Amino acid sequence: MSQLIWMIDLIPNWFWTLVLWTGVLALVASYILGKITFVSQYKIPLRVGGVAATIIGVYFFGVIANEEKWQARVDELQRQVKEAEVEGEAANEKLDQALQDKKTVVIEKGREVIKYVDRFKDREVLKTIPGPERVRVEEVIKYVENCPIPKELIDAHNMAAEPVKGDKK
Amino acid sequence: MKLIAIVLMATVLSGCSTFTKFLPAKPKFPEPIKELTEPCPSLETIKNDQVAITDLLKAVVNNYNLYYQCSLKNDGWNEWYKKQKEIYDKIK
Repeated sequence: MSQLIWMIDLIPNWFWTLVLWTGVLALVASYILGKITFVSQYKIPLRVGGVAATIIGVYFFGVIANEEKWQARVDELQRQVKEAEVEGEAANEKLDQALQDKKTVVIEKGREVIKYVDRFKDREVLKTIPGPERVRVEEVIKYVENCPIPKELIDAHNMAAEPVKGDKK
Repeated sequence: MKLIAIVLMATVLSGCSTFTKFLPAKPKFPEPIKELTEPCPSLETIKNDQVAITDLLKAVVNNYNLYYQCSLKNDGWNEWYKKQKEIYDKIK
């Protein structure tokens, strides 16, 4: 069937217009010229041929109209798909930028907190802190120095941090 | 004669449906942002047997940070899906 459609597709549209009009003219001729003695013997073949050509012509007119309608729909869809692809790409770029910005903020916040925690590791920092704030920091440093975390608590932390079995990692 | 007329009528009317084709306009599945496709990193564990409370705190802070980075990816996927669906639903 597809080969047949492919072969019919090769025939130009004007051919089917010609077939239709030939059929109509043949029908008309079969009625008009049927009255003339010499031509009347061709009346029946002319009429049968005319009916057949008209039917084939109308059929392919329908095919052509349908094809044009579908082609218009295809063109419209292809245009919409193209537009959607461009719009999708632009949306991706916008989202990527927004994600990068948020990630930078998250990383920066983490760094700040780590920097803050690091204040309590080294007594050198006390030289840079004035007044009552220094007393508080010194208290914390003293606490950090004297209270190491036992292994059991570290293990508990590690157990929670490790991925569950069957996880991707 | 009636039968022939019916067959011919059916033939003529079938002109539209016989040559109906599938629309050759398949939208391409949109590519996600590369970063979203990368898996979330593993959380940080503490290697030493005895550490100061600040080291434990730093590991916890780092893990919070990793969680928030991963959470951004999750939000990103949701946002990506919502936006792409919105765009492709416009195709009619």
